[in-house]
Amino acid sequence: MTTTNIEQKVNETWGKPFVDNAKISIRNMDVFYADKQAVFDVNLDIAKHEVIALIGPSGCGKSTFLRCLNRMNDTIPICRVAGDISLDGENIYDTNMDPVLLRARVGMVFQKPNPFPKSVYENVAYGPRLHGLALNRAELDDIVVTSLKKAGLYNEVKDRLHSIATGLSGGQQQRLCIARTIAISPEVILMDEPASALDPIATAIIEELIDELRKNYTIAIVTHSMQQAARVSQRTAYFHLGRIIEVGETSQIFTNPQHELTENYITGRFG
Amino acid sequence: MNNTEKIKKSLNKRYRKEKRFRLLSLLAVLTGFACLFILLVDMIIKALPAFIQTEVKLDIHFDQEKLELAAHFEPEELQNANFRGLIKQSLQQRFPTVRKRSDKRALMRLISVDAEYQLRDKLQAEPQLLGETVPIWLLVDDDVDTYLKSDKQFGRVSQKQIAWITELEQQERFQKRFNYWFFQTGDSREPELAGILGAVMGSFYTLLVTLLLSFPIGVMAAVYLEEFAPRNRWIDLIEVNINNLAAVPSIVFGLLGLAVFINFFGVPRSAPLVGGMVLALMTLPTIIIASRSAIKAVSPSMREAALGLGASKVQVAFHHVVPLAMPGILTGTIIGLAQALGETAPLLMIGMVAFIVDIPQGVTDAATVLPVQIYLWADSPERAFVAKTAAAILVLLLFLVAMNGLAVWLRKKFERMF
Ligand SMILES: Nc1ncnc2c1ncn2[C@@H]1O[C@H](COP(=O)(O)OP(=O)(O)OP(=O)(O)O)[C@@H](O)[C@H]1O
Ligand SMILES: [Mg+2]
Repeated sequence: MTTTNIEQKVNETWGKPFVDNAKISIRNMDVFYADKQAVFDVNLDIAKHEVIALIGPSGCGKSTFLRCLNRMNDTIPICRVAGDISLDGENIYDTNMDPVLLRARVGMVFQKPNPFPKSVYENVAYGPRLHGLALNRAELDDIVVTSLKKAGLYNEVKDRLHSIATGLSGGQQQRLCIARTIAISPEVILMDEPASALDPIATAIIEELIDELRKNYTIAIVTHSMQQAARVSQRTAYFHLGRIIEVGETSQIFTNPQHELTENYITGRFG
Repeated sequence: MNNTEKIKKSLNKRYRKEKRFRLLSLLAVLTGFACLFILLVDMIIKALPAFIQTEVKLDIHFDQEKLELAAHFEPEELQNANFRGLIKQSLQQRFPTVRKRSDKRALMRLISVDAEYQLRDKLQAEPQLLGETVPIWLLVDDDVDTYLKSDKQFGRVSQKQIAWITELEQQERFQKRFNYWFFQTGDSREPELAGILGAVMGSFYTLLVTLLLSFPIGVMAAVYLEEFAPRNRWIDLIEVNINNLAAVPSIVFGLLGLAVFINFFGVPRSAPLVGGMVLALMTLPTIIIASRSAIKAVSPSMREAALGLGASKVQVAFHHVVPLAMPGILTGTIIGLAQALGETAPLLMIGMVAFIVDIPQGVTDAATVLPVQIYLWADSPERAFVAKTAAAILVLLLFLVAMNGLAVWLRKKFERMF
């Protein structure tokens, strides 16, 4: 296939971007950094209790897309978002949508582990304290322990809950960040390459964790690892130069991609 | 020649360069250290005499008649009793040959003018001494003090006075003791009575006002500019102006303080309150600039982490950013306060250069500050003030060290909190 053929086909999304039980639905989303457009006309649904993987070459706009889903991009003054993004049918860029509440409902785990330089306990307790989720110390203790257990970290840190979190290993820190996020029981968790700094064992623990979390949460995960996408996700979206080229069942995307660009990417010929 | 050899050859050169650089840096550090050392040693040597005070032992007869007190007197009447007469009497007994009026006066001048108050205090404390004769140590005049301390080289003493001093010395009636007086009193025209406490308290109150004003305002301004301010031309203008303000000569702030705080708002002049306000204006830009760079240095990932958990902007700023920036903010604050501590010019404009004997009890009492005190003493003709000046400089340095120590302690505390 020649380049011109590909050009012609990138303007629409192949596969099945829409689902019936959408938790988040995105329609005609454009994102600009000043004058430069980073995301072009994205249409996508994220279903309840699914893990959707976002893959694509570096700089194609995955992080930008993800950060729009809980309005983290509000902190970048030059960033402008157009189109409709709704959470349970509510437009999240609506003027009466409170970004603080939104971020409590749509949590985020970042690429680089970023625990606060406080104790392990304080890290997890911060969110619940902020939102007044625990009535007393016992309840707070309970939230902290449950979250740490859910993140698969409790056994490793139970003896040092009150020592500083930045002293943990990279993998432990990342799981702590996940525990911190689920401590406020968000409805959606956005993960931007959560395992990119981790060794295979720590990665495996986190992947297991994601699978476990799916029961209660909706998860969107950006990853550079095809295997990871295949292991943890039910659906996969392939990004290319700011557009979603193809989206569908993970098994189908990896075994039988429809679009030339997707195929090139997953077979390693591109990107 | 292969690569390894080439690298080896260049290595020698690099190492030589490194050695040279290390040597130069060491030299720079040593030079700085030597200058500091010389300054300190010089100051200490010059200041030593100020910490020692000479006293003379006189046999005082607490004579009710001489004191001009009635047989039955109220305790308050002691205030106006003629204690000077007691000293005169005692000296006359010791030097019975002195007859001429002018000589008698010269003889009296050996003793400090404060001696009579010393006697009064003594009698007030021990009323049973009335009618007794007791040996008492009294302060000598600063000229005598200087004369004795300088191995009889200096001091404005006449030949006759020297003869008397020598006689008293032979009777072992002089003693040198630690000059605790210096740390307990305010300024005085008489060097043997002049103390540093007034200026220390003045500086303390002034800096307290400066800190209480400039720290919160400076930190809030920095937080606003870094975390909340929209990026536009107004903010840029404010930024440029703050940077300019840091370079404005301090006397200008003094003039401003005089015009605005004293003349317009009617804040009492010469008081630590107005001094602190003026110095706060001067310190603000330093604190704002330092705080902003400390806040800027806080990793954006901390902000994202907190925002991502649903913290509001204010919560992000005060739960995470400010505490993390606190060590840097404290460093900036201490630099600003140290500058303020050493500042003289703006305080001259608002009347803190006045001669003030009383020790200030609060921020609205008239006061002077350490650098102004140093300036005043350095300007005084009496020789004894040379040592006092050096001693005051030492006290100023100590004050600085104490402030820096406090800052280091606070910084450690903040770092441990995280
Ligand atoms: N803060 C920003 N300011 C300006 N341009 C930005 C900013 N962040 C991202 N971009 C641009 O937007 C485009 C998409 O970036 P984004 O970070 O979303 O890519 P990505 O798919 O996450 O890449 P990677 O896989 O390397 O993380 C890039 O061209 C990038 O240069
Ligand atoms: Mg990215």
